[in-house]
Order: sequence, then C-alpha cells, then structure tokens
Amino acid sequence: MKSKKMSLKTVLIVFFLIELIIAFFFLGSTLHIGTNPDTGQKIWFEKKTETMNQEIDFDIQPDLYVEKYNVEEPWKFTYGSKNLYDIFVKMFGTGSAILNFRLWRMILYLDIFMILLALFIRFKSSKIPSKIQVVFEMVYGFIDDLVAETLGDNKRHFTKFFLTIFLFIFFSNWSALLPIPGISEPTKNLNVPLGLGFMSIGLVHFLSLRKKGIIDYAKGFCEPFFIMAPLNIVGEVSKVISISFRLFGNIFGGAIITLVISSLTKNVIVPIGLNLFFTMFAGTIQAFVFTMLALTYLSMEIVD
Amino acid sequence: MDPNTTQILASGIAKGAAFLGAGICMGIGALGPGVGEGYVAGKACEGVARSPEQAGLITRTMLIGQAVSESTGIYSLVIALLLIFTTS
Amino acid sequence: MIVQADILKVFLYLGAALSTGIASLSAGYGEGFAAAHTARAMMRQPNANNNLTRTMLISQAIVESGAIFALVISMLLLFGGFTSRETDWAKAFSLLGAGLAIGLGCTGPNFGSGYSAGMAIDGIARNPSKSGRITANMLIGQAITESGTIFSLVISLLLLYTVPAQMEDPTLMKIIVKSCAYLTAGLVIGIGTFGPGAGIGYVAGKANISISKHSKDQGLITRTMFLGAAVSESTAIYALVVAFLLIFVS
Repeated sequence: MKSKKMSLKTVLIVFFLIELIIAFFFLGSTLHIGTNPDTGQKIWFEKKTETMNQEIDFDIQPDLYVEKYNVEEPWKFTYGSKNLYDIFVKMFGTGSAILNFRLWRMILYLDIFMILLALFIRFKSSKIPSKIQVVFEMVYGFIDDLVAETLGDNKRHFTKFFLTIFLFIFFSNWSALLPIPGISEPTKNLNVPLGLGFMSIGLVHFLSLRKKGIIDYAKGFCEPFFIMAPLNIVGEVSKVISISFRLFGNIFGGAIITLVISSLTKNVIVPIGLNLFFTMFAGTIQAFVFTMLALTYLSMEIVD
Repeated sequence: MDPNTTQILASGIAKGAAFLGAGICMGIGALGPGVGEGYVAGKACEGVARSPEQAGLITRTMLIGQAVSESTGIYSLVIALLLIFTTS
Repeated sequence: MIVQADILKVFLYLGAALSTGIASLSAGYGEGFAAAHTARAMMRQPNANNNLTRTMLISQAIVESGAIFALVISMLLLFGGFTSRETDWAKAFSLLGAGLAIGLGCTGPNFGSGYSAGMAIDGIARNPSKSGRITANMLIGQAITESGTIFSLVISLLLLYTVPAQMEDPTLMKIIVKSCAYLTAGLVIGIGTFGPGAGIGYVAGKANISISKHSKDQGLITRTMFLGAAVSESTAIYALVVAFLLIFVS
C-alpha cells in the first residue's frame, strides 16, 4: 500500500514537471490542425512562434493588424460589426487551433495556485481555525460526506480525487472574474472539459474492470442481448460527451453572452449582473454537477 | 435542363435532405427522453422526501430507469451521426 | 448565388418575428402559471403576501430571460447590419435558423421554469416559514433549466457571426447542402431542448414542493434533483453536439 501511494505521488510530480516544461518552452506558440493559410497545403500541425505580448490588438493598432493578417476591413464582409468580429477572432482564433498554449499556461497558473493554496492551508491549519480554514473544512466535509454516502464508508479515499475535480472546475470558472487581459476560463475551451470527462469515465471503467474481472466486465456490455453491444458502447461514449459538453456549453455560452452584450452596450454598462449569474452562480452549480455525475457513474459500477 | 446540372442538383438535394433528416431525428428524438427522464426524477424527489432512509435505493432505481429511457435518445444520436457522416 | 436584397429581408424579418413570437408565447405561459399560483397562494396565506410577491417577481424575471435573449437576437437580425452587404443563400438560411433556434429553444425551458416557480409558490403557501430554502432551491433548479436556453443562444450567435456572408468557392451543390445544414442546426437545438427543458422543470417543481413538506431533508432532495436534472439534460446535449457538427463539419 505504501509503495502504491509513493508511485502515485511520483506520477503526479512527473506530470507537473512535463506541464511546466511544455508551458515554458512553447510559450506563445500554437499548434494548428487543418489547412495552412500560407501555402494552402493540408497539414497536421503547424507551429507559429508569436508571443502574447507582441500580438497586435485590433482596437489599439488597426493599421498593423490589417497589414499583418492581410485583411481589408474584414468585418464588413463576414461579420456584422467590428466589435463582434474582434470578439470572435479573439475567441476562436483565425485558424482552428487544437492546442493553444495560452490555455496551457492558464491551466499551469491554476495548478500552481491550487498547490500553493493547499500548502498554505496545510501549514496554516491550527486547532483554532481561521476563516479560510473554516471555509475549506466545510467544502472538504461536504464532499467527504457525499463520497461516504454514495460509495460507502470504506471508500473515503476517493474524496481527494473528487475534491480536486470540484475545486479545479470551480477555480477555472471563477477565473473569468480576474480583470487581466490574457486570462480566461480554461473550461471555455472544449479540450479541458473533454479531458476531465475522459479522465472521470476512464477511471470508472478501470475500477470496474479491476473489480469484476475481464469476463464479467465484457458481459456487462452484452445486456440485455449480445446484439445490443454496439449500442451499449455508444451509450458509454455518450456519457463522456454529455458530461463534458454540459460544462463546456454552459461556460462557453455564458462567456459569449457576456461578451456580446457588453459589446452591444459599447462597454458602457459593465455587465456585472451577467457575470454574477453566469460566472459565479452557474459556474459553481456546473462544478458541483460535474463532480456529482462523476461520483454517481463511479458508484453505479463499483458499489454492489 | 442540362442533365449534368440535374445530376448535381439531385445529389445536392439528397445530401441536404440527409442533414435535414439528421436534425429532425435528433430534435424530435430528444423530446420524449427529456420529458420522460424528468418525470422519473421528479417522482424520485418525492420519494426521497417521503422516505429519506431509502434514498440510496431510490436514487439507484431512478438512474437505472433514466438510463433505459435515454436509450431511445442514444438511438436518435446514432442515426443522426450516420446521416451526417455516411451519406453522400 | 447572391440573394436579392428584398428576398434577404424576407429571411431576416421572418427570423426576427418567429424568434420573439414563439419565445414570448412560452414566456407568457410560464409567467402566467407562476402568477396564477401566487394568486391562489395568497388566498391560503394572506399574511405571507410579501414573501409570495417577492418570490413571484424573482421567478418571473428568470422565466423572462429566455424571451429577452430572443429579443436580443431579433434586434440583431433587424438592426445588425445584415442587409447592408451581399449575402448568398446559405447565409440567408443561417439567419432564419438563428431566429428559429432561440425562438423554439427557449420554449421548453420557459414552460419548465414556470412550472418550477408555480410549485415553489405552492410550497411557500403550504409552509411559509421555509420560504428562504424553497426560493434557493427554486433558483438552483431554474439555473439548470435555463441551460437549454443558453445552448440555443450559443447556436444562434454562432449562426449569425461565424457563417461567412459568401462562400469561398460556391457551387450549386455546396449552396444547397450548406443551406439545409444551417437551417437544420437551428431546428435541431430548437426542438431538442424542448423535452429536457420541460422535464427538468418538472423535477425542480417536485423538489420544491417536497422541500415544503419535509424541509429537514432539504440537502438530500436538492441532491436528487441535481442528479435527475443533470441526467435528463443529456439529450439536449446530444442535440447541441449535432448542431455543432452541422455548422462546422458539414
């Protein structure tokens, strides 16, 4: 048992180091999939070295922007207005980027923030709890009770996993509140919710396989008849789709609505109410729903 | 009309109809499961309120019932994906 | 294949009218449902009228948000500058699809939110001392219900602003296929969110009334509601995926 824990810790540290290396070596480059705009060839990926600071903002330097991207008043023939064009270019990029390293860096910031937070709480905790300690003890107790009720008292070690998922999604959604350019919610990008979904459902299947053995696990797919196996497999895949697109759709929708409405009002009215609803309220609810669903899918497989 | 144009028109209409069919299939197919699963969950809420000590059992039954109700939604999804990706 | 300016206006006006028209129908029903239950509740609990009126107004504001989104899309269609440049048939159909998406798409969530609000008000009439808990649960339930509306709004905005006004190399076949795909993307999310929206509304309503009866098990009931609502929503998410595929892959 001891060696297992040590190996898990090592894996986590290795992953964190890989993340650090990728984030700092490829800072500001973007991987693309699709057609190369310069040569017109179909390619798998392309690396553009372009640091974030040198990126030209349309509102500040429209001349340089037009010269660089070789466009003549692009919003006039594709989009309704200049502001909205700008928003959608910012949101989707000009190509179809599969791996945006701005996203990667954002995740890295979140990871470092969460590690520092954990260390801070760990070393600041005392018998007489401070306010922040009370808050986090409450959150921990809530998730711990949830796990104990759903999976049983002897499976409390899953609390760490689900608490990490909950806090990660929660801080991701709330990071939209920081008024710093270049910082946006990682959950707005489809890659992050899909990764989280694959991780959760993959864990469920791995534990189910370990518990039942390979024959019983395969038999589980053949219910009620053998012929239904393909549809059962589609059902399992659709779990990943539904759990990740739920998070993505809500956060992405909230971000689009906030951006469009603030641009329609020319940023005169700061959309505090929209942020209050979409970021704080819906963000918290979606984080909880994701955790709850992952926990329930796990409980359906491993609890007798 | 030029026979070549007719051919193009016909294949275009066929592919367009496949997309239209995919959309209508998924759209209407989502109606029944959505209402049905909601009904299951609503009744489960009532049941949990009435006998909270059986909450685990009720939740489990609710999830199994919803999974079965959802299978028709998944069939619609499969047909919609087939229509989008395999027709030409 | 440029659409004549007058025919483009047909698409724009039709989209704008359908969007706000259908959305107002459902929003009106939902708000009326909430108000009717408030009136009946007042009869039973005349002393709690402040509480009841406040809850009614909050819930109606949330039900109305779907209609407001539809109004925004209508305004964008009418005054967003879409008539001022040359567009082809695919974009014209995408404009109509954008109107249909938000118009049809907020129908189910509006019915559902209205039902949930009515049941919450019934619950407050039954047990006025727990009105805070019931209102909190109602707000959470309506927030999940409204995600169908948010999906529809996303598809509407994508159809308005990511579909180019003119295709790169237009052929007859491409125009027909793209027109169908864009119109269908609006239809699929519009019809697809109806069932889940109504279903989640039913769940939230039953949870509200259950909390008023057995308020000590509020945590358990809210959790069951979360779980049931989240699973019911999955078909709306499949519709969203199909709509994304139709817009970006077709």
